[in-house]
Amino acid sequence: MSRWRTRGRRPMSAVTVGALALIGVTALGEGLASVPVRAASKQTITFAESGLGGEGKQTQKAINAFQKANPSIKVHILVLSPNSTTFLQQLEQRFIAGSSSPDVIESDVTYPAKFGKAGWIKNLGSFKPNLKQFFGTEVAAGKYQGRTYAIPWFDNPEGLFYRTDLIKTPPTSPAQVVSDAEAAMQADPSLKEGIAFEGEKYEGAITAFLTVAGAFGGKLNPAHLNTKGNREALQWLYDALYVNKIAPAAVTGWQEGNVESEFQAGNAAFAINYPFVASSVATAGGPAKGHVGYIPFPAQKGGMPGAALGGEMLAINAKSSHSAAAWKLIQYLTSAKVETARAIATGDPPSLPKAYTPALLAAAPYFKQVETLNKYAQPRPVNPNYLQISSDLQTMLSSVFSNLTQPAPALAQAAPLVKQDAKGG
Amino acid sequence: MARRLRLPSLGGTPPSAGVSRKADRRLGYALVAPVVILLLAVTGYPLAYNLWNSFHNVILSNPGAPQNFVGLQNYQQLATASEFPAALARTLAFMLVSVVLETIAALGLALMLHRAFRGRGFLRAAVLIPWAVPTVVSALLWTTMFDPRSGFVDYVLGLLHLPGSNTTWLAGEWTAWTAVLVADAWKNVPFIAIILLAGLQLIPGDVYEAARIDGASAWQSFRRMTLPLLRPALMVALIFRTLQAFLVFDIIYIMTGGGPGSTTETLSYLNWQAFLVSTNFGYGGAISISLVVISLIIAGGIVLVMRPKT
Amino acid sequence: MADASVTKPLTTGGRAAVPATGRWRGSRGRRRLLGQVLFYLGVVVVLLIALFPFYWILRTSLENNAEFVQGVGGANGFLPAHLTLSSYIDDFTQLHFLTPLLNSAIVALGTTAVTIVVASLAGYSLARLPIRGGGAILTFVLLAGFFPVLAMVGPLFLLYRDLGLLDNIYPLIITYLVYTLPLSTWLLRNFFAQIPKELEEAALVDGASRLQTLRKVVIPVSIPAVFTAGILSFILAWNDFAFALSFLDSPSKFTAPLAIVVFGQSQFQTFYNRIDAAVVVITIPIAILVLIAQRRIVSGLTAGSLKG
Repeated sequence: MSRWRTRGRRPMSAVTVGALALIGVTALGEGLASVPVRAASKQTITFAESGLGGEGKQTQKAINAFQKANPSIKVHILVLSPNSTTFLQQLEQRFIAGSSSPDVIESDVTYPAKFGKAGWIKNLGSFKPNLKQFFGTEVAAGKYQGRTYAIPWFDNPEGLFYRTDLIKTPPTSPAQVVSDAEAAMQADPSLKEGIAFEGEKYEGAITAFLTVAGAFGGKLNPAHLNTKGNREALQWLYDALYVNKIAPAAVTGWQEGNVESEFQAGNAAFAINYPFVASSVATAGGPAKGHVGYIPFPAQKGGMPGAALGGEMLAINAKSSHSAAAWKLIQYLTSAKVETARAIATGDPPSLPKAYTPALLAAAPYFKQVETLNKYAQPRPVNPNYLQISSDLQTMLSSVFSNLTQPAPALAQAAPLVKQDAKGG
Repeated sequence: MARRLRLPSLGGTPPSAGVSRKADRRLGYALVAPVVILLLAVTGYPLAYNLWNSFHNVILSNPGAPQNFVGLQNYQQLATASEFPAALARTLAFMLVSVVLETIAALGLALMLHRAFRGRGFLRAAVLIPWAVPTVVSALLWTTMFDPRSGFVDYVLGLLHLPGSNTTWLAGEWTAWTAVLVADAWKNVPFIAIILLAGLQLIPGDVYEAARIDGASAWQSFRRMTLPLLRPALMVALIFRTLQAFLVFDIIYIMTGGGPGSTTETLSYLNWQAFLVSTNFGYGGAISISLVVISLIIAGGIVLVMRPKT
Repeated sequence: MADASVTKPLTTGGRAAVPATGRWRGSRGRRRLLGQVLFYLGVVVVLLIALFPFYWILRTSLENNAEFVQGVGGANGFLPAHLTLSSYIDDFTQLHFLTPLLNSAIVALGTTAVTIVVASLAGYSLARLPIRGGGAILTFVLLAGFFPVLAMVGPLFLLYRDLGLLDNIYPLIITYLVYTLPLSTWLLRNFFAQIPKELEEAALVDGASRLQTLRKVVIPVSIPAVFTAGILSFILAWNDFAFALSFLDSPSKFTAPLAIVVFGQSQFQTFYNRIDAAVVVITIPIAILVLIAQRRIVSGLTAGSLKG
């Protein structure tokens, strides 16, 4: 199999024999139990995805329909961790082990470059995918060195939620977000904060920052992190916490779920979050119900409306022996009808503009805004070493949000690290 | 007194009728072999493998790169990148502070448990539960306790109108360390206390009686009698706890993730990141080797300082 | 012991010899009462520190989500305003918490079984049989117990990958031996060394072989020590987090401690009450075990590390 496999073992052979023998005993029972039973003409493909609860159910539904339409293909669903970083580690372990399973892989928008470079996922060029039908920002995330490795599945733009009952007209500048938040907090003492965002030391802090960064003309370019736009955006978030005090220090412990709860419970006038909040507020109720506005983060002069690209893509394992069947599944899952049905059921925004049908907009009007946000959504770095870049960005953001480092020096310190990460240091 | 700490004597049984000494010896090796082989497999093998990796370029996420010999490059990275020296310093600081505070608390707890009183059994069981539950539980328990919204600490500080009632504990460097320290102590003080209690029970009661006749105060007899006689138990407890504290990982991973910033990243956390985030097994191997070496130095140091003076 | 029996009456006599004036006795009595009160106050404080956090997490796990988000305060104080079991139900129905519990039970019991067999044999050999290098072996066993866990993670990850054993709970049994074997081997060795040799020698003289003697004479009198080693091994194996985190991928393979932490990492949903409910669930069996077997745990911990 892979080169480093044999290399790694060579100098250890004597000790390895002992270890092998011991572990072999336990492996035997497990090995015997997992010998696959294969029907002669039917092929089974494995689909690794992270869906829990409602999302998982909807995937199962779509897969059932797919199997009905393609009786020769059986799809086995492998559920991996819902946390994106853990999910990545789990996938990597399989790739590193040289496994031909799973065949079809759900991939966060930040992975395809890494997987593609490592040769773990297939170059999909030979299938001649029709990329023009998808939102261009997400298609770009699936490319590495001009080759397409992943197809957009759903396209989750992070943006700014606001309470339409407290803020009558949406803000048109970052400064106005502050003043609106302050006014709302004064008018409604039951509010606990003006704005809620993801500030924990994890991936979400990066997308929250990116949502604001675009509005100041900032970008997450690993080669040039320390830009005026990024400094201003980070300063805005810092000021929200420590100068204007429209956000509580508690955001340093918040992930999307906490931000969602804050907004849903009526604690926050603004919240930076993903579209699912709109549907969860509608189902769960609470003070925010019926008063949900969703916009890109309003632009400063020189910036663009801010939104961060999140979302999931589909890719094929390079070692898969069922790539034709795998491609069929991908085509099916990314067809307009299936995407619209998923959007209605789970709130996952389609990656196809044409899937935003009148029926969808009627069922959930906020998808109109989602479609707008998708036009502005900015990607995180498309880079094979994204995991390290992300780790350094998380540390940087966490130290600013915790008031350990001021925004400007924090960016100045992180910039060379991130540049080094991107080069593969 | 016969009951005191000593290294076990290792003489076997004298030969008896019926069994030959040679057969006994052969059987002895056969019986002890599984333990040796199994422990070598899970420690000796990793040690050798880490050593090899640490002199090579082994980055799994970069399968194309050659895995060539790189000499001391991985070790140089330890010395030059600021993360390792910084993590080493804060790990040692955490180790010292936690072990000193926990040992003092444990000594108090051990003296309490040493006294005969109604409900002693219940108290002993109650303090053993925090030790017996997984570290994951103690970390999550104290994350909840220190949560600014639903936590007990801020709530009770607020009720009593004390300062700090609005603290986001895990967001500040020192407050995060405080929370980690509390969670660590809550779980580990009982362990030290149990070891010290056993040491106390080995001290014969007549020693105190004799001291009392001589008119020694409680404090004097504690300092002059109890502490010196407790030295062997204290040494065992200190070695266990100091090394555990030096290698702290679970609590850090769960409570702070190394944050805020990188202010609570310990050496073990750094090592985990090197292996499973960067998948750089060469650099990770170098960190592992330094973990082993420093652990040995620490254990050796404690034995040197604490060994009985002859 | 001879010394003690001589000194004791002497000291009691000595104390009685102090003149017992009323005033002296009164202040001493008061001081003693004060000391007693302070002592019991200390006991209460220790009990609270040890047990209150469990109450608090139980309290949080019984809150409904809306209350949880509002935070503690007002009517929602030491007792939550409304009690609900929904977090527990969610844990088992939606998050399938039973699977990780079973995985943990399999791994912990497997580790315990291997440990007591292997450690008993080695302990007996080290205590009784004339092997050379026994001291070196005991030192090695002790040192292995101090081996940094994270220094094992990298190489074992590579080994299990090469063997196709990642994301599999069974290799954890071998891995967890590093937690259990050192303590158990020492504990059992120290126990066997204390058994009177005459017991065995009688059997040996009767013509029994060593192994027969071990099985028929030594093991039966050692059941309590083996049981102690088993309980401690189970607790130590049940507690692991770092190896499970590093080697397991699929939620269906997770051990309970790993599953609890991952509940909290889920995107798009808040699971905090569910984490707390799972923490309560995983704590209960350990608490029961401690209450039943605290004497053994204490004696095991001390006999494994101190030679009495």
